[in-house]
Amino acid sequence: MNQTAPMSPLPQRPCCMGLRQLWALVQKDLRIEARSRQTLGLLVVLGLLVVVVLGLGLGQQQGSGFQSTAVLWVAYLFSGVLCFEKTMATERHDGAMAGLMLAPLDRGTIYLAKLLGNLLLMLAVALVVTPAGVIFFHFDLSANPLAFVLVMGLSILGFASVGTLFAALVSSSRLQGGLLAMVVFPLSLPLVIASTQILLAVFRDGRPLAGGSLGILAAFDAIFLTASWVLFEWVLEP
Amino acid sequence: MTAMALHAGPASSATETAAVRAVQLGVTLDERPVLADIHLDIPAGQYVGILGANGAGKSTLLRILASLLAPTSGTVQLFGHDLARDRGQLRARIGLIGHQPMLYRQLGAQENLEFFGRLYGVSQPRRRAQQLLQSVGLAHRAQDQVKSFSRGMTQRLAIARALMHSPDLILADEPFGGLDVPSILALEQVLAALHQRGRTIVLVNHDIQQTLAVAQRIIVLRGGRISIDRPAEQLGAPQLVAEVSRP
Amino acid sequence: MRQRAGIWVSLFWLLTAGTFAAALLRVAWFTPEEATMGVIQKVFYLHLPVAINTFLACMVCFIGSVGYLTQRQSWWDDLAAAAAKVAVLLCSIVLLTGMIWAQSAWKTWWTWSPRLTFSLVLWLLYVVYLLIRASVESRQRRAVVSAVYGVLAFLDVPLVYLSVRLMRDIHPTSITMEPAMRLTLALWFVPVTLLTAALIVLRYRLNRAGRQAAAIPAQPAQPVALRLMGDAL
Repeated sequence: MNQTAPMSPLPQRPCCMGLRQLWALVQKDLRIEARSRQTLGLLVVLGLLVVVVLGLGLGQQQGSGFQSTAVLWVAYLFSGVLCFEKTMATERHDGAMAGLMLAPLDRGTIYLAKLLGNLLLMLAVALVVTPAGVIFFHFDLSANPLAFVLVMGLSILGFASVGTLFAALVSSSRLQGGLLAMVVFPLSLPLVIASTQILLAVFRDGRPLAGGSLGILAAFDAIFLTASWVLFEWVLEP
Repeated sequence: MTAMALHAGPASSATETAAVRAVQLGVTLDERPVLADIHLDIPAGQYVGILGANGAGKSTLLRILASLLAPTSGTVQLFGHDLARDRGQLRARIGLIGHQPMLYRQLGAQENLEFFGRLYGVSQPRRRAQQLLQSVGLAHRAQDQVKSFSRGMTQRLAIARALMHSPDLILADEPFGGLDVPSILALEQVLAALHQRGRTIVLVNHDIQQTLAVAQRIIVLRGGRISIDRPAEQLGAPQLVAEVSRP
Repeated sequence: MRQRAGIWVSLFWLLTAGTFAAALLRVAWFTPEEATMGVIQKVFYLHLPVAINTFLACMVCFIGSVGYLTQRQSWWDDLAAAAAKVAVLLCSIVLLTGMIWAQSAWKTWWTWSPRLTFSLVLWLLYVVYLLIRASVESRQRRAVVSAVYGVLAFLDVPLVYLSVRLMRDIHPTSITMEPAMRLTLALWFVPVTLLTAALIVLRYRLNRAGRQAAAIPAQPAQPVALRLMGDAL
């Protein structure tokens, strides 16, 4: 090994490069979404369809207000999985992912960028689907609307953090569509269970939002966000 | 296609440190050995051509050098730095041109280049993108989406993408595939110009005659091992054809 | 050397069979019946040890997954896969015995009680692990995806446990246990744990053999095939 010659200087990276790269990635994804004009429409319509179908079947009963959470979850699960697949799909054409991997870019930054994109899309879907569910199922949120927003928000965050990770991993296998759903659903069940129970307690039984139960959601999010971020970095690095 | 403005400046300290140094490099994929016992010492500024039959491991070797794949044994050093350890920073000095363009179809040519420029921390990415588009002859299509480009134009844009950050080491994996003759000539010119400016070029190629004409040194891979590693002028086409087509 | 290993294996099986027989005997004749439920309550002696061992199998799967992700050596992957398969088997037993219990105690095959829901979710988690392995073809990718899933699935387990505790336990299931019953329970742990370990090891060896068989190019593969048939689970 030639150690006598001076080492060539490596290009140094300024400290906030990571944030700038993150912003560049998110901007790129949003721009592509805006151009394709497909994804958001698909997701919203899918979510609405789920709510409508379930509403036709279940919405007639008396006192069906608290079924809304389950209905909303089904809508979010399906449109969520589709969302994660579609945002990852942009990297699968023309070797774009390789282009990202070649760059001096932390894999974790790619994960965060995709996650942010997914969260924004899911927010847009929630803004349409949730009112629909509330209307069709006569769900009365007036008791504690903040609780509803918090609980559903934390739940979708946890769901998306796992979904974003696996969307990248199962991208090239043949059973792509079903496989992602199959992988993410069971892992997200604690979220579904916890959020359903919490909202039942708040809206049906009229109890205030318990810090402990909200803590479960927060714990899930913290654990899965960290684990997914680390695993994404680990697995995509050769 | 003009060769001007391909690089923002002269090659950085390319004197004594080898551009690429691989020692006992080996890769096993799915429990099958793809590369074994690879020793490479490429001085900075050399133009190397890698030949071999399909499945000989050429693309795999390039992917290792590009840091997209980790070797199962051996070490790789680029510009005196261990690739496994300093991956993040070394990536800023590597440019890869592959058979896939690594571009986003729904974005415009300029948008694509600016995006990659920002990823690499290029200062003034917009200006650099404009310069490069000029030199690859795509300035008139700068705002058009890539999905409307022909294969030749896409590949030219891919070259521009690979050069946005002025890499010192250029890896090209069968970049001529599917190109028409003018585009092939233009790409050859670009690589030659880069070489003239002191960049190290490693070209994986199928066309033996073409590679002999452009490279300074030829390496032939057979079954994952190096079977020939000589300066180009010492080799002849028939000899190489025979070596590559040997079972 | 072979013979000595063989002797230990035989001793192991003897011990397992012996303790299993003893446990059965004990349950059938030497353990009093519980007052409210009658004979069916005795399914509990199987249920609890198997449940604990399911958790142990899940832990082994987690260890295998982490091991694979850090070391990238195939035997970790084989270990994780073996443990997951055993976990699904055991969890099915837990579910079934739980449902039998529910039927006998509350006259219903299913109720969304915390315990049953927990068993169901655990079962689903590891069944999906097996399905992932069946769906991905490339060996390396399969190992990586299952390892990542294996890590997250195990991290999920305490969260599932916590979340089901929010559910209303309409039928509290505390049984007062006499000392004789405690002894039976402790006795049952031995053969069940031994069997779990044995199943994991056997399945692991089967996986290893399968991997080696696949790596061998076209050759008369009889000895390996015979071994696979012999160890078939």
